[in-house]
Amino acid sequence: MRYVVIGNGIAGVHALETIRKLDPNGSITLVAGETFPPYCRPMISLVLDGSLTEEDLPVRGPDFYEALGVEAFVGEHVVDLDAERRVLTTDRNRNILFDRLLIASGANPRRIKAQGLELGRIFFMRNQMHVRDMIASLDGVEEALVLGGGLVGFKAAYSLMKRGVRVTMLIRSGYPLSMQVDAHAGSMILDELVKNGLTVRVGAEVIAFEGNGFVRAAHLEDGSTISCGMVVIGKGVRPATSFLRTQQIAVDLGVLVDERLQTSVPGIFAAGDVAEHYDVARKSRWVNAIWPVAVEQGRVAGMNMAGRDVSYKGSLSRNVIRIFDLDVLTGGLVNPPDDSYLVLTRMDPRRRTYRKLVFRDGRLVGLVMVNEIEQGGVLLSLIHGGHTLPIEGEAVLEPSFNVARLFPHQRGFLQARRTGK
Amino acid sequence: MKKVIVHPERCVGCMQCMAACAAAHSRSKSVHGAVLEFPIPKPRIHVGSGIYGEGFPNRCRHCDPAPCMLACLPGAIYRDDSMETVLIDPFRCINCASCAMACPFGVIRYHEDRAAPPGKCIAVKCDNCLERQLQGLIPACAEVCKSGALRFEEPAADLKDKTDEIARRISLGAVEGDFAHAPALALLNAFKRAQREVNERRP
Ligand SMILES: Cc1cc2nc3c(=O)[nH]c(=O)nc-3n(C[C@H](O)[C@H](O)[C@H](O)COP(=O)(O)OP(=O)(O)OC[C@H]3O[C@@H](n4cnc5c(N)ncnc54)[C@H](O)[C@@H]3O)c2cc1C
Repeated sequence: MRYVVIGNGIAGVHALETIRKLDPNGSITLVAGETFPPYCRPMISLVLDGSLTEEDLPVRGPDFYEALGVEAFVGEHVVDLDAERRVLTTDRNRNILFDRLLIASGANPRRIKAQGLELGRIFFMRNQMHVRDMIASLDGVEEALVLGGGLVGFKAAYSLMKRGVRVTMLIRSGYPLSMQVDAHAGSMILDELVKNGLTVRVGAEVIAFEGNGFVRAAHLEDGSTISCGMVVIGKGVRPATSFLRTQQIAVDLGVLVDERLQTSVPGIFAAGDVAEHYDVARKSRWVNAIWPVAVEQGRVAGMNMAGRDVSYKGSLSRNVIRIFDLDVLTGGLVNPPDDSYLVLTRMDPRRRTYRKLVFRDGRLVGLVMVNEIEQGGVLLSLIHGGHTLPIEGEAVLEPSFNVARLFPHQRGFLQARRTGK
Repeated sequence: MKKVIVHPERCVGCMQCMAACAAAHSRSKSVHGAVLEFPIPKPRIHVGSGIYGEGFPNRCRHCDPAPCMLACLPGAIYRDDSMETVLIDPFRCINCASCAMACPFGVIRYHEDRAAPPGKCIAVKCDNCLERQLQGLIPACAEVCKSGALRFEEPAADLKDKTDEIARRISLGAVEGDFAHAPALALLNAFKRAQREVNERRP
């Protein structure tokens, strides 16, 4: 069996390991655009803020491919995939034949339209090289502009603030991380960031950048100007599908996959940020471009590629974000689309906590927790499992909630009733 | 291999396991010494209360595959296969709380610890008292537990105990006294439940 994997992100890495475990003798080839050993992408912002170095990023050793018996072509990009002839072509004109293929090419930053984008010190923040370049040009930068308040925009702003750079963040909704949190948690996050020196501008878009070689200012559509020695564009990501022939493989926003993570072409699989599967809370097709989902999908795709039939139930969006003195944990549908959902909230200003639960038909489908997040995993697994809640929803809002409360009838008392007469 | 096996129906909620756990992970190895240390040692076992106020000792299950391990961003969570224990490398941990999202039992806490560089908060959870086990001691929580809720035993032996108990219960001719495995604890729990129900019915 000839296995080929495109991409050495975490989805690709888990697939390689899983395939090798199940098929000790198959030939495995990897084509990976990045030359670094597999590393932790979410941690690049910790290199930017100075709390980690690049040496802390790898999640597998330099001998990873060799130890697994994987033939790796790194620094090479797939430019064409012919699903019918079952061959792919790289930018070094290499043709690679496959029996089973995994597309784990991740995502690319969404580009923006504006004049002057060719100026220096305008960055995306997606990979280790980007952050290396950003750090190299930090010298003398006092003000930075961050476009977008999503996970990446937020992390870029937070990291630059920690470096002592004055940051202005330009966002569309009234608060950052609007895809991850609800308005209340969003305003707590905003307050915390503003308290620590962030400037936030809502609404306006950039139409042009100005500078002499390096960016010096940004002009907004409302006519105003923001001076900035550095710009980070964090306007979301798009699945990296440009090398696919869409007449051969079904692509929506991401590459469409079934419950075995197989694409519309038998033998070709997709996993991670590039794949569009099913969201268990939304109950619809969805790309959940997050690390734990890439791990899960890489493993399931690997198993199916190596001949072990495993189905994937669907992914759940989830995030945990720590901002100065605030911990925020969210998952599932945090902003219900209509009023058929039951929403329970509790605020405790003294403990500085906030909890919000979203229910559909007696099942938990969304969650926001601010501070005291330790029980978050219990609730996320309830959402993921799609179980009905065995207790009153209000009981989950109690600060003393713990996993034992979910099994009111299982233990002890059965025995007590029978024996304790 | 012996493991700490939890028998939640026997927990009286005394929390001695928490104190013993914190002490076992302190420098001084004593409760009195531990309270004077910095960072103050904290327990890795947490006695929660169930719906009727009954005790519930919540401790890492050392799952395999472990969801926390798969979710860990820096790869700080790993398994010691020989001891069947999931461990956290305090130097690699970045305190991102990704494991808080993954643990279905809610047993991980975030704070400073003796094992971590000074001033650094890390994810902390049960390590099966490997340090004690290497010295021939049993895990501190099981050693201190008086009610038999935490016992260090062979899983197979425990399973046999449970099977025997059920067999006794359903056998013909069993004597009344045979039924209750721990009659006093069962009574205590029944009492807690009754109290709660009475409270709820009060206008
Ligand atoms: C700054 C930042 C912070 C983040 N923070 C978090 C977080 O806190 N929590 C969280 O859950 N997620 C976070 N994420 C998202 C997370 O990093 C991704 O979901 C995850 O890395 C996806 O893994 P993947 O393997 O699917 O794709 P990727 O990691 O994108 O890997 C894909 C790889 O494929 C390569 N590739 C692409 N096209 C080709 C081609 N044609 N040929 C060859 N190789 C190719 C790419 O170079 C890349 O190395 C963050 C992302 C960023 C950028």
